[in-house]
Formats: sequence, structure tokens, C-alpha cells
Amino acid sequence: MSEHGGVGAGPRTDALLAASRESDFRRELRRAARVMVDARWPVFAVIFLFLTALAAIFGPLVAPFDPNRQNLVLRLADPMTTGPDGGVFWLGSDALGRDVLTRLLYGARISLTVGIAAISVGGTIGIIAGLMAGYFGGWVDDVVMRLGDIQLAFPFILLAIMFLVVLGAGVWNLVLVLGIGQWVTYARIVRADTLSLREKEFVEAARALGDSTPSIIFRTILPNILAPLTVIASFNVASVILSEAALSFLGLGVPPSVPTWGSMLAESRDTLVANKWWLAVFPGVAIMLTVLSFNILGDWLRDFLDPRLRERT
Amino acid sequence: MGAYVLRRLIQSVVVVIGVTLVSFLALQIGGDPTYLFVSERASLEEIEAARRALGFDRPLHVQYLSFVGDLVRGDFGQSLSYRQPAMGIVLEALPATIELTLFSMLMALSLAIPLGVLAAINRGTAWDGSVTTFAMLGQSIPNFWLGIMMILVFGLYLRWFPISGHVPFLTPLIAGDVGTAFGNLPRTLFHLVLPGLAVGTYSLARNTRLVRSSLLEVLEEDYVRTARSKGLPEKRVLFHHALRNAWLPVVTVIGLEFGFLLGGVVVVETVFSYPGIGRLLFAAINQRDIPLVQAGVILLAGIFIILNLLVDLIYVRLDPRMKLAGGRG
Amino acid sequence: MNHMPMRIRSGVCLLALTLTVAGCAQRDENTIVVGLSADITTFEPGMISSRDNANIARHIFAGLFSLDADGQHVPDLAHTLELTDDGTGYVYTLREGLTCHDGEPLTAEDVAYTFNRIADPANRFTGNSPGFVFTSIGFQNAEALDDLRVQINIARKNPIAFGLITEIYVHCKDSYERMSLDEAASNPIGSGPYRLASWTRGSEVVLEKVKDRGNFQRIVWRIIPEASTRTAELVAGNVDIITNVVPEQIEAIEASGRAEVHAVSGTRRMYLGFNLSEASRQMPGGEAIQDPAVRRALQYAVDVPTICRQLLSVECQRATGPVNPPNANPNLTPYPFDPAMAERLLDEAGWERGDDGIRFSIRLQAGRGRYVNDVNVILAITQYLEDVGLDVELELLEWASVYTPLLRERSMGPLFFLGSGGGLWSPIYDMTDLADVDSGTNYTHWDDPRWFSRWAELSEAETAEERRPVIDEMLQVFYDDGPWLHLYFQPDFYGVSNRVDWEARRDERVYLFDARLRL
Repeated sequence: MSEHGGVGAGPRTDALLAASRESDFRRELRRAARVMVDARWPVFAVIFLFLTALAAIFGPLVAPFDPNRQNLVLRLADPMTTGPDGGVFWLGSDALGRDVLTRLLYGARISLTVGIAAISVGGTIGIIAGLMAGYFGGWVDDVVMRLGDIQLAFPFILLAIMFLVVLGAGVWNLVLVLGIGQWVTYARIVRADTLSLREKEFVEAARALGDSTPSIIFRTILPNILAPLTVIASFNVASVILSEAALSFLGLGVPPSVPTWGSMLAESRDTLVANKWWLAVFPGVAIMLTVLSFNILGDWLRDFLDPRLRERT
Repeated sequence: MGAYVLRRLIQSVVVVIGVTLVSFLALQIGGDPTYLFVSERASLEEIEAARRALGFDRPLHVQYLSFVGDLVRGDFGQSLSYRQPAMGIVLEALPATIELTLFSMLMALSLAIPLGVLAAINRGTAWDGSVTTFAMLGQSIPNFWLGIMMILVFGLYLRWFPISGHVPFLTPLIAGDVGTAFGNLPRTLFHLVLPGLAVGTYSLARNTRLVRSSLLEVLEEDYVRTARSKGLPEKRVLFHHALRNAWLPVVTVIGLEFGFLLGGVVVVETVFSYPGIGRLLFAAINQRDIPLVQAGVILLAGIFIILNLLVDLIYVRLDPRMKLAGGRG
Repeated sequence: MNHMPMRIRSGVCLLALTLTVAGCAQRDENTIVVGLSADITTFEPGMISSRDNANIARHIFAGLFSLDADGQHVPDLAHTLELTDDGTGYVYTLREGLTCHDGEPLTAEDVAYTFNRIADPANRFTGNSPGFVFTSIGFQNAEALDDLRVQINIARKNPIAFGLITEIYVHCKDSYERMSLDEAASNPIGSGPYRLASWTRGSEVVLEKVKDRGNFQRIVWRIIPEASTRTAELVAGNVDIITNVVPEQIEAIEASGRAEVHAVSGTRRMYLGFNLSEASRQMPGGEAIQDPAVRRALQYAVDVPTICRQLLSVECQRATGPVNPPNANPNLTPYPFDPAMAERLLDEAGWERGDDGIRFSIRLQAGRGRYVNDVNVILAITQYLEDVGLDVELELLEWASVYTPLLRERSMGPLFFLGSGGGLWSPIYDMTDLADVDSGTNYTHWDDPRWFSRWAELSEAETAEERRPVIDEMLQVFYDDGPWLHLYFQPDFYGVSNRVDWEARRDERVYLFDARLRL
């Protein structure tokens, strides 16, 4: 078959697939909404996450103070204390007299960014590695899977500590480390799905029509295996936020001038015994509700996707 | 079966070599450990001499090969900060961590199964609701925070449990002192309650949900329906048919669970002043004590690999449908 | 009717009893428990370097002389010290009838062995004794003159050698000759009142009394790294003394009614160093601080008393130099907090605010987790410097593996945060950090001849009275044009249970010889 035929055939099949995917998509979306409303909780989760996202995007605009402005004389102030220039510490102030509410709002931005960026890093690496391993098999498969085994045999926290001690604290180092910690999960799922799809008719058809290998992998196979990954991703955002808190506790998170919920909670550890509850409760509740929402969302996604997963096998 | 095990073991060797290479490179690239072994007032010449004496002046690949060479001969090297055989130090700290992880794993499983079953058979009721809510919360609380709160509430205010520390059980047992070991046991367990909960709560929560959802799934399967339609009592259906199959996904995660619990151990050991391997290795990484880190990492990876191999073999026993061909990929 | 509640009540009591007994182990009158924040690594006398490690070791190994809480040089294993005529030979005479933990008599030979063993390059020891004491005094060798007299030879006259020698841990020849270095690291055989009974790495060290001095038969040192856990153990009554109380928890301890906090003004000198080296000159702010006028201006920018009050929970007087108060130059008054003055001086020095309000950028480096509330203190200082128009590039670095190497190579940024251990027994000890332009502890590369040319006079002077005016003049130079932005002497906080009587010392030494149960 000539090159022209191949190139010509690609878009044609793609358009057909896309059209059917389009109507599929609408139907699925309606079903998704129905399942969600039936289950009730996912609605709250989505609302909460939407509000958190709003806080992350617009929070800094409405925040009453500068997140790093200290006020040593008014440190550890109770919630509702009137601060300098008539401003009010609605949620109290921290050990350096910085406004907890302001830091919480800025923290939303960084915590969510770290969570989502880490998932993107891990997901991208994992998906590409899994596609390669599943599609090509042979030594590529062996190498990818052994690398995965090596990483799993290493307690993740030790790996993370080792790299952060070496790289130093910083938001992007954290994203990189947390992301790398995730890739194996994605790679394994993608590999298994790719293996089963490789021999399916529509893939054979694309191959027969002369589509290039990258096109088959990324345009034919990939869209068909993305759905279950969203479940993993939403669970993982939750665990990334918790890992960030744990690393902050060990002094390996973000630099102390950067507010994240995890680091705020870690900073509160010394004042817990002194009853400065607001330092722990507000970031703690923020983390808890966010993690909870992502978990509920993941559950719902899984329930929703499950019948389809079953149909496919 | 033999061939399968052999192949898995060969793969494991590759994995262990990979693990040592990663940790070696990470720590070496991260900085020169020499500074930690010379006095604060040492001159640059003294530092250079120490660097030569410690062997850090050699090219990286030479250092790594000599390390692997020693390893093959069973010599894990001397800890740089303790100046004692590295493997000995790691093995000394291991029993305490095994006690902690085992305790939290057993606790997580023994509570997760009844809770999960309770929720599943009462699906949609208040029971289900509260178990699920508890499980959701358990999965969203950072363990260090949970640890400190438990210390304050159960240790300090209520005084139900000891606040920190460790009473050894495995160490005297291994040394052959059975009397001391079992004499210690009640206190060992008592000291394990709070740190065990801090390490295990996340797993407990996750496994509760896993048991619940897999049981719900099994209850929908044809053979359970058949059993029911034959008029078998509900209890018998549940225990004889459903539960047995609901176990499988739980068994699968046990192997991975160990690695996962170890993740929590570094933080929780610090909070509870618990003398285990997590704290030891955290300190060793900070001090660039490469031989100690290597010994610890090899040991943990070895345990992890063997555990997963065992889990796979048990899995095959439990589920004859499973073939040994590719492992669990 | 009556039986049931009775039975229930006794059942509850029994339950409560078992819980209490198991929960809070019965406190033994002969045991004192101390909670430490940092782990210890060795009992090899030549390798000990951390403060906590040294504190425990001091109960096992006695010294020839020791320094008491007031910094007085008092007899210990030896009762007299005489110097040879040229001032480089220190002759100690031991008390009679001393014994080692291995039962052997302790003689001058053991003492000479101790010194020579620690210095032996074959042993590659890098602890405080060979690495700091011996290099500072220029240790040559030690020899036993007879059974009771031992002579330590040093390279040159040194006014503080007698004090430094107190830090050497005397150990016993016969036992150490038998042991390999591996064995010696965990089997200390000393000459002090206590011997090592057990050591569980990362958990606890138990000492047992073998001879006099000390009111407790057993001392248990527990390693409790997490501050809240330490405080909880103290308040619960399971631990008698804890070190490094976090300032935020002082109130909670005091309010418990079961323990109190002893705050002492420590001897550790906290400062911001100005690195004046060529390498630092290339970094942001490195050029500006070369000018003494800029350094002086910045002294006015930082509100040290407020930092002390708010972040360290103590009232403090700001330092005027490197020397601890009783020995400092009494004519110097601490720089006041006067940001307007700082701004005026910076304007005069030619560093006016730009359109963005910034005078110049400067890099500030600090390690974290080493000193009391260090991260908060350094963040507060950053704020003060930014308030007078500096743009501070703060780098908070991991202490052991990142910051320490920078210190050792003296290659920190233009501003760096550090605390240097000091003493009360001699002003010269506190000034020794900058004994020479090139000494390893002159992290600032300061080279003012008005300071460094005076050291010869100091070592030649015969008496403290002769040295005093020289010292005061040097400290005046340090105050005016020196390389430190003066902060404070680090306060130390110890939590002490009501169960015991114990006085905290100012020099970070935790000695329990005089601790006793409160009656």
C-alpha cells in the first residue's frame, strides 16, 4: 500500500471513530450525571472540589493579607483576632503571626497544583511506558516491567527521601518525586489493557489500513484505555496530598515560606500540645475534605465505569 | 512450579542489583560524605586525606564495583557513622519494625474483614454508611497527625496506652530466650497499640472498602445466586461461597501492603520514638551513610520480593483458575 | 441488688489497675529517666562529637579536671596541675586508689595511653577530642612520669589549653588494648561513676552506678526525637528531665502542675555571619557587605529582643560580640533596633532604594533543625531585612549533608546563620573561632589586622589582668567593623519533673551527679 493510501485512510477511520465516540460520549455523560445524582455523595464531592478550585484560582485575589507578612507580636493569635491595620485574622495567625486564612487560600493553589502536576508526570511516564511494553512486548516489556519491580521493591518513602535530600526542597522537585512514585501503577494497567487490545479487530483494521505505529498506539489504542486510569488518578491525587504532608513532616517538603496544606499541618505539630487547635484543624480539615472528595469521586468513577469494563472483556 | 520459582528468583536478583545501583548513585551524586567524618576544624588537607582513607576519591564505577564485589562475598561494609558492620546494625533494628508492621497488618486485616462484611451485607443501611464514612476518613488523615493526636488523647489525657517506646519481643525470641520474650509480650503489644494504629489506619480503611466492594461483587455472581435460589441459609451462602472468593483480592494486596506499611513506618517511628529501621535509614540517608542505606535497602527489597513470591504461590492455591504462566505482571 | 454493682466496680478497678501498671511503668526510686532529642552514635572516646553523646559519655568517662557549672576549673581524676617552665608541658597528678570499670587500677599509664590512642592516626578518629581539642592545643604526646604523674606536651604556649584538656575522656589501657575498634565503639570501659549497662540503638541507653558521685543507681537516657512526644512523656510522669523543650510548649508544661521548665541563657552564640571572601563577592549582596558601614547599618535593622521574646519565649539582651556576657567588653552597649537609622546609614553608604523599593539583593543561607526554633527565627530576620529595603534570597538547607559541607569549606553565601558553642571560663575560648584569618572556623574570611595582629600579645601575656585591655580593644573593633550581625546567646529549655531536683547548666552539659529525688 502506498503512503498516500495510508495517510488518506487514517483520517477517514478517525472521523468515523470520532463521530461514534462523540455520541457515545454524550450518552455516557448523561449516564454519569444520573449515577452521580443517584449516589448523592459524589455531588457534594464535585461541589467541594469546584469550590476548592475556585479558591485556588481566585483565593489570592480575595485573601485579606500577604501570605508571608509576619507579625511577631500577634503570633499564635486566636481566630477572629483583630490584626494590624484593622484586618481580622478570621482563622487565627500562625507561629510567625501570618494569617492562617490567607495561607490556606494560597495553600489550596499549591497543594492542588502539586497533586495534579504529580499525577500528570506519573501518568504520562506510566502511560507511555505501559503502551510501549504492551504493544511491542519482548525486551521492551522486560525492561519496563523490571524497572517497575525495582521501584516497587523500594519503599516509596525511602526513594522519595533519598531524592529530596539530594535535590533539595522545592515545589517542582516534590512534583517530580511524587510523580515518579506513581508511574508503575499506570504502566501496569496500561500494559495489561494494551496487550488485550493489540489483537482486537479495530486495531488490526488500523494496521491493515497502513496507519503508522505511533498513530496506532496513540490514536487508536490510547483513547480506549484512558477511562480506568481516571479512577486511579483520582485516588492518587489523594495519596499525593498525604505524601506531601508526610514529607513536610520530615522537613523535606516545600521551602517554609511556601504555604501548602501539608506543610501548614506539619508546622502545627509543636503547638498541638499547647492547644493552638486552629493551626492544625483548618489545614487538616482542608486536606481531609479534599482527599475525601477525590476518593468519593474515584469510587463513583469506578462504579460508573465498571459495567463498561466488564463488557469489554 | 520449580521453574517458575527459579525464574522469579533470577528476576529478583536483577531487581536487587537495580535497587543498589539506584541508591548508590542517588547518594553519591548528592554530595560528598567525607565532611561528615572529619572534625569541624579540619583543614582542607585533612579533609582530602580522610577522603582518600574512606575511598571516596575513586571514580564512581570503581566504588560501585568494589561494593558489589564485597556484597557477593557477603560483606555489606561498615556503617560510616556507627563504624560497625552495616548489616548488623540493620538487622538489630529490623525486629522492632517487623513487630510494628506485622501488628498493624494483622490489625488492619482482622478489623477490615468484619467491618467490610458488615457493611456489605447491610448495604445501604446506617451500618454501611458509618463503616464507609469511617473508612473514608481513615484514608484522609496524615499518619503523623493521627499519631500525635493519639499520644495526646490516649497517652496523656486518658492514660490508656504508653506514649512512646518499644519493648522487644522478637529480639529475645531469636536469641533463644523464650521466657523473656513471652514475659515481654503483653507489654510489647501494649506499646504497639498507638503506633500500630497510626501506621495501620490507612490500610485498615482501604482494606475495609476493598472487602466491602469485592464481597458486594461476589454476592452478585451467578453461583451465589444459584446457591441462594437453592434455598441455602444466608449464613451458609455468605461464609461458604461468597466470603471465600471475596478473600482473593485481599490476599493479593498483602504483599504490596508490606511495602506500603513500611512507607508509614519512617514517620510513625519518629513520632513514637520507636527504634526501628525506618528512623535508622532516614538518619542514614541524611548522613550519606551509604553502606548502611545499602544494607537496609537490600534487606527490605529482599523481604518484599520473597513476600510477594509467597503471596503469588498462595494465590495460586486459593484460586486454581489462576495460571502460573506470567505471574501477576 | 448490691452485689452486681460491686462486682462491676471491682472489675473496672482491676481493669484500670492493669492498664495503669502496664501503661505507666512503676517509677523506681533508684532510677532517673532523661529524654533526649537526638540519637547518639558511639561510645568510642575518640569519635564522640555531639553534645548529647558527650553528656552521656561524661558519666562513664571522667576527665583529669572538669569545668563546673560556673566555669571553674576543678579537680576530677587529678588533684593538681603544674606547668613546665616553658608552658608547653602540663603535669597532672592523679588521686590515689582510682579504678577502672574493668577492675584494674587507673594509673598515669592509662592516662598517657588515652591521649596517645586518641591521637594515633592509625585509628582515624575524628571526634571532638582529636579533631578540636588536640588541633587547638597542638597536642604532641603524653607520657607517664611515674604511677601518679602524667605529662601532656603541647606545641606552644596556650592560655586555654587547661580548659580544653578537661574534655578528654580518660579510658583504660588493658581493656582497650584487648578490644578491636568495632568492639570499643559499643563497650566503653571508663573511670567515671557509671558504667554502660545496655544500649539499644535509637531507643535508650542505660547506665548503672559503680562508684560514688550520683544519687541514682540507674540512669536511663531515652531518645525521643519528636518534641510533642517528649513533652507528653514528661507531663505523663514517665520521664524526669527532657532537653530541647520547644518554646511553644513551655506553657503547657508549666500548666500541667507536674513539671516545670528551666530556661537558662546558654553560651551558644547565635549570629548572622557576613562572608567577605572573594567567592561570596560574586554572589548577590556579596559586594555590598564588604563595606563595614553597610554591615553596621544592618545591625540596626533586626529587632533581637522581640525575636527573643516572641520566638524564644525569653527576655534577652542582644550580644555585643562573640564573648559571653561575664567576660564581654563591659563598655559596649548592644545595637538598638532602629530601622530608620539602618535606612539612613544604607543611604549614606550609597545603597539607596531603587524604583521598586529595593536597595540590593542578598543571599542568606541557613541550616534547618539545628537550633532552637531556627526556621522561624531565620524567617523573622528575613522579614526585618526586607523591611529596610533588602531583597533576601533565603536558602534553608538540610543541616548535615548540605549546610555542613558549605561550612567546612567556608563557602557559604554572603549572609549565613550560625550558632557557635561558647564557654564561660575564658573570653579567649569564645574568641578562638577567629584565632587566625585562615582558621577553619573563621567562616567569614574577615581579615582586619586590628583583630588578628593582637593574638601574639594574648598568648605572651602572663596574667588575665594583662590580657584584659587587649581583649577589650579587640572586642571594640569586632563591635564596630566586625563580620557578625550580632543576635543572641541561645537560651536552652529543659523540662524538669516535680519528682526530681536538678539544676540546668548554661553550657548545654546535662550532668546528673547531683540530681536527687524531691522529698
